[in-house]
Amino acid sequence: MGSVRLLEWRPMTTPAISPDFFGPSRSAKRPLYFVAAVALVVVSAFLVWPSLGKDLLATNFLPHLYCYLRSPGLIWTHVVADMLIGIAYLAISVTLGYLVYKARRDIPFHWMFLAFGLFIIACGGTHFMEVITIWIPVYVLSAAVKVFTVVASLTTAAVLPFTVPRILTLVQQAKVSEKVTAELRASEERKAALLREVHHRVKNNLAVICSLFYLQSTHTEDEKTIQIFRDMEKRVHSMALVHESLYGSDNLARIDFAQYAQSLAEDILASHRKPGAPVQLKMDLEPVTMGVDLALPCGLILNELISNALKHGFPNGAGGEIQLSLRGVADRECTLSVVDSGVGVPPDLDVSGTKSLGLRLVRLLTQQIRGTFTVAKSDPGTVASLQFMVDQNAS
Amino acid sequence: MQVDAMSAEPRALIVEDETLIAEELRERLSRLGFSVIAAVDSAEEGVAIATSERPDLVLMDIRLKGEKDGVQAAAEIRQKVDVPIVYLTAHSDRLTVERAKQTEHDGFILKPFHRRELQSTIEVAMQRHAIRAKTKTQ
Repeated sequence: MGSVRLLEWRPMTTPAISPDFFGPSRSAKRPLYFVAAVALVVVSAFLVWPSLGKDLLATNFLPHLYCYLRSPGLIWTHVVADMLIGIAYLAISVTLGYLVYKARRDIPFHWMFLAFGLFIIACGGTHFMEVITIWIPVYVLSAAVKVFTVVASLTTAAVLPFTVPRILTLVQQAKVSEKVTAELRASEERKAALLREVHHRVKNNLAVICSLFYLQSTHTEDEKTIQIFRDMEKRVHSMALVHESLYGSDNLARIDFAQYAQSLAEDILASHRKPGAPVQLKMDLEPVTMGVDLALPCGLILNELISNALKHGFPNGAGGEIQLSLRGVADRECTLSVVDSGVGVPPDLDVSGTKSLGLRLVRLLTQQIRGTFTVAKSDPGTVASLQFMVDQNAS
Repeated sequence: MQVDAMSAEPRALIVEDETLIAEELRERLSRLGFSVIAAVDSAEEGVAIATSERPDLVLMDIRLKGEKDGVQAAAEIRQKVDVPIVYLTAHSDRLTVERAKQTEHDGFILKPFHRRELQSTIEVAMQRHAIRAKTKTQ
């Protein structure tokens, strides 16, 4: 089977394979021309042969009634049967005509349907004539209707075999197109599965890096060195969590940042749990989705802000509260803020000139996402907030 | 709680397919006073060692290499021996977590691991098991 050849052959468009003998479907006026031509032929026949009307309706014959010997059972059986057959034929033709009218552009061989319709109407006509001639012997008219039926049915019968190869091609194409659609869908699913797998791998590798930092930290007793490893572990974890959020979600291109921020904040708080009064986490997060490009720096920034609040806001086992909020304004501008009830930042804090790696990372990453970052002392504690634009369409 | 004849330290089995993450767990568990009898990376090995060695604690990663995952391994272990089983999981594995919750287990630990969380979850798991063992013998 030349399915490959068919694939390359051409896309499935019906007008391209419409035959020419009854006229292609592109002209909507064609049936009108056809009707006009038939009318012209009929009218000119009457003009050429003026007595045609009279001859056609000649009734100088015996009505069929007499053939049936006026037997009511036989007559009415014929009448009812012929009427019902005629009505059924008419109904079928009307349905076919309506179908072609409604879906002309989408039905291949719509002229074939019309030919069938005409042929069936003609057949119906002969049955109606059978009913009439029982009482009124218009046998000439009845013969004319039969002749018309012969023309219609012979034309349809003669034309039909020529369309068979085309119909077979169409069926073949429909099959191929179905197969292609299924293949496309399967390929989409494979792609999504692969992408999910890649994010899972990336997340796993980053988790392994976190384990490496931990293992390395167990080889030293120096608290400062241990703290450096802890900080690095958390930074890498904030990145791992982005990939984790991606493979866990339905949309493999964007992450639900509210959910991400909640997971991250809970993890950071868990890693900071120390003896003393607890620090409570309060969250007010509006749903905001963003692509990986934006989520990674935002996650790293959020990690620094929460970690800083925990590290510097609550010295000597003091308890308090950290409030995390995410606001999406008009789907575009976004504000992420971390407010703590701790001791507050020193009044001379200069974010752009700081030597702390945490704040330096915040400053650099804010530049990267073209956002603005402000940190201020509040009463009590500190308000750190990041404003940035979220492109709803970027992935 | 079953006590090993050789040492008083509770014995733990780790089933985790990332060797270095397993190593971190081994380190953390030994700091919590456990002796880690083995760290294996497949469900089959986990079931085999858990049933033959009867450890005092099994830490079971939900996603594992091979045909079976941690949830299936835990169910098989529970059919054979009663040991406390704690699942290791990530935030995003919500579907698997739902499935794991249907099976018998004694706790969940979210990755990444934090000392206090690890400690409290393991303690609760071992207590639950001890209570279960007590009611069974009565």
